[in-house]
Amino acid sequence: MPDGGRRFNSGWIGVVLVVLASLAPLGLNDYQQSFLLQVFLVIALAQAWNLISGMTGYVSFGHAAFFGVGAYAGALFLTWGFPWWLAVMKGAGIALLLAVPLGFLTLRLRGPYFAIAMLGLNEVGRIVATLWVDVTHGGTGLTLSPELLPSLDVKYFTMFALALGATLLVAGIHRSRFGLELRAIREDEEAAEMVGVNTTLNKVIAFVLSALIPGAVGAVYVMYTSYINPSSAFEHARNIEMIVVVLFGGSGTVWGPIIGAGTVMVLRELLWAQFPAAHLAALGVLLLVVVLYLPGGLISILRDRQRTRPDVLR
Amino acid sequence: MELLEPEILLQLLIGGLLAGALYALLACGLNLVFGVMRVINLAHAELMLMGAFGAYVLFTVFGLHPLVSLLLIVPAIFFVGYYLQRFLIERVVGRPMLTSLLATYGLSIILINLGLLLFSADFKSIPALQGSFLIDELAVSKPRVTAGLISLLLTVGVYLFLERTRLGKAIRAVSEHAQVAAICGIDVRRIRMLTFGMAAAMAGAAGVMLSVIYSFWPGSGVDFIQKCFAIIIIGGMGNFVGAFYGGILLGVVEAFVGGFASTQWAEAVAYLLLVTVLLIRPTGLKGVARA
Amino acid sequence: MKRRLSLSVLFSLVLAAMVFPPVTQAKDIVVGTSVALTGKYARTGQEQLQGFQMWVDEVNARGGLLGQKVKLVHYDDESKPETGAKLYEKLITDDKVDLLIGPYSSDVTMAASTVAEKHGMPMVSSGASASEIWERGYKNTFGLYTLAELYMDQILDLGKSKGLKKIALIYENTAFPRGVAAGVKDKAKKLGMQIVFEEEYGKASTDFSSMIIKIKARKPDMVIGGSYLPDSTAFMRQAKENRLYAKIFAFAVGPGLPDFGQNLGLDAEGVMGNTQWEPTLKLPGAKEFAEKYKAKYGHEPGYHAGGGYGAGYVLEAAVKKAGSTDPDKVRAALFALDTVNAFGRFKVDATGRQIGKPAYAVQWLAGERHIVLPVEAATAKVVYPFKDWGKR
Repeated sequence: MPDGGRRFNSGWIGVVLVVLASLAPLGLNDYQQSFLLQVFLVIALAQAWNLISGMTGYVSFGHAAFFGVGAYAGALFLTWGFPWWLAVMKGAGIALLLAVPLGFLTLRLRGPYFAIAMLGLNEVGRIVATLWVDVTHGGTGLTLSPELLPSLDVKYFTMFALALGATLLVAGIHRSRFGLELRAIREDEEAAEMVGVNTTLNKVIAFVLSALIPGAVGAVYVMYTSYINPSSAFEHARNIEMIVVVLFGGSGTVWGPIIGAGTVMVLRELLWAQFPAAHLAALGVLLLVVVLYLPGGLISILRDRQRTRPDVLR
Repeated sequence: MELLEPEILLQLLIGGLLAGALYALLACGLNLVFGVMRVINLAHAELMLMGAFGAYVLFTVFGLHPLVSLLLIVPAIFFVGYYLQRFLIERVVGRPMLTSLLATYGLSIILINLGLLLFSADFKSIPALQGSFLIDELAVSKPRVTAGLISLLLTVGVYLFLERTRLGKAIRAVSEHAQVAAICGIDVRRIRMLTFGMAAAMAGAAGVMLSVIYSFWPGSGVDFIQKCFAIIIIGGMGNFVGAFYGGILLGVVEAFVGGFASTQWAEAVAYLLLVTVLLIRPTGLKGVARA
Repeated sequence: MKRRLSLSVLFSLVLAAMVFPPVTQAKDIVVGTSVALTGKYARTGQEQLQGFQMWVDEVNARGGLLGQKVKLVHYDDESKPETGAKLYEKLITDDKVDLLIGPYSSDVTMAASTVAEKHGMPMVSSGASASEIWERGYKNTFGLYTLAELYMDQILDLGKSKGLKKIALIYENTAFPRGVAAGVKDKAKKLGMQIVFEEEYGKASTDFSSMIIKIKARKPDMVIGGSYLPDSTAFMRQAKENRLYAKIFAFAVGPGLPDFGQNLGLDAEGVMGNTQWEPTLKLPGAKEFAEKYKAKYGHEPGYHAGGGYGAGYVLEAAVKKAGSTDPDKVRAALFALDTVNAFGRFKVDATGRQIGKPAYAVQWLAGERHIVLPVEAATAKVVYPFKDWGKR
């Protein structure tokens, strides 16, 4: 809902965060900079998921599929001698090309059927990467030679740009007529259709946009880890992470995924190297608590409780 | 080609049917829950692994044979399921599908990682049943025959319970129409707890059966739950008998794909079936529910 | 309300600050490694770490390295290459270790070595043997193990001498097992033997029954597996269930470990495999190491423990030769080194690949594993052929 005051305020916070992130490489060591890079990665992925699932209510359990496709495309084009930025664009492009037909096919499915179909697609991606040995080297995976990789600063700023771009995209859609129509689909698809919303087209556009981002993110990610194999490209934990981050922060909102990503990543950083299992268990507990007790996410506590919140996931 | 020799086809078929019986036991429980409360329990395979690890602990600590522990594990996991329903699942029944999906998803993540903390990610196996029965030239694996037949027996038992007993009929009544059932004086809440307990017990039994055939680790559930999805989509969501046939079908198809293509392709069958069926028939082959 | 949102952002920043604790400068020489402590490679990864830990204890008891104490930082890579890559990134940029020991398995090493290469840190790799690792032009990965491609050579020679022709070859779809398989195919061609069955399987595979039914139909003389411990154990168990018979069964990794015999019991009898090292080899300090290891950890060391221990001695020799822990000097020293320790000879070619160490074949006989080939190192005579399941 239009709220000039809040928008002005969060806008300022946004500007401060952008400036901080741009200056950060000056004062941080490689490891700290890599940590921020991963925060941006999660923000970008979360916004992508937010775009389709938070806004339309079509819950995807397999958006990592597009991440995996982008990662493989990025790795392959890089080894075939393309410059890094072109490899990233190819990653996004291939994810987009796949998303168009997949969107038309899967978005006919409702509720759990869509969720399960996406989960299945992610697995199909993993299977293709495993069995297409000539191109992907199968289970061995692909390693990228260090001289092919762009510098950490390049990767950092690319990932930052993706996170920022994804956030601005969500913010833009949020305020547009398109965003309103997506939310109408979430509330009641039949009713939306009856008042003249082209639901199929809207859903597919949202889906394609939300696939494009993980595609590009995946390509940058592979340049950061310099290694990819079927299970790391199509990792199930990445799906969990996207969902938890968005729900924890506040689904269907612009700031929710950012707050969620910040909190979850810090938690993870404190835990993962020492207690990999504890870190995921903590995510599970977070997910349960949020689903049962805090359906609006962290952001709903921060906001004025009396305000009606039409933009929060039911 | 030697693959077409009847003996090999027969061996593949037997292997497939036996594996299918195990899938069926697992998937029928999942579908039972879906039928009664319209909740897809994403933690179903973790309940199964609870059974498998239960058998593992009883075997390594007390030396109990898995077939003996079955008698202890099934009631134990029934109560786990009963109270899970009471304290957790009951809260999401009747709420949007997404809520229950995410809640059971959260539960499954917690269970997997508790499993990792307790048992580490090493593969475990129980060397209690080994070797084979020889029928002429045909060798049939002892653990598989045992597990397959017990699974079949249990599934049929539950089916008869649902068909023949008063309580079973009440469960089916709730499954068909909860409000009408409530008006007829059925305690719907209690039925839901019993149903979830029963489904959990079925999963636990499947876990014990799994433990005598395969090696397993806390993350093994992911493959099984996705196979279950394929099965219930093929057999129809909420349809007990459909899930049974779907399970058998998947087992047999996997065995033949493993035989004629490769083990790696066999592992892919479930996902390919799942996606294909969903994309061709958006509500599944025999879908009863629309979200 | 505005303030609340700002506060929450501030809160996040404070949390973020907690992630970046101030860096303290340690005086010790810090050695970093990641090993599989959980997951498919856990059993072997643990041994490697324990072997290496014994070197750390010994070198510190002797007064340390270059007069400084040696400290070990290690993490669990969960047998996953992607986790390994992240952990080496952390070891190098966050923990700022002085020296690196490689992870266990060729699979994880492929990923980790790329990170080491990126940062120009030499890495002594004790747990990897796929030659693919050394075919990428890297300058910082130093192998200890005999190459995977050579693992089955002696067993194939044995098969040839017995007049065997038909081989069934199965292997996991990752770097090391593929290396073993490539070596088998190469050697079989040279010997004029025929691969009558070949199939890859996934990393998590535990069900080989359909595969075994097919293999049975091809009636191979030899069944050879490019495998690790869990898959070779599961395969033999199911081979018995399905009555698969061949004159020779040989697997990579699994039969070289005590667990293989423990898990399979009598069914392990006659199965062949290979080893990088056994305590019975005539090497300086091998016997003493085996005794100390058994006293400390309660079981015989497998070759992975020996490898971890040997890696420590190679590192020690290199640092002493270099006179510092400077990566460039250590790298040069590792390239120039030609030394023998309890694990065997260490000498690498210009790519960092091991060329000084021979391969050994083992066989399970009466519940124990023995080196059977080459004859000079053998502790028992080869038993041939494999006894059929019905006659046991």
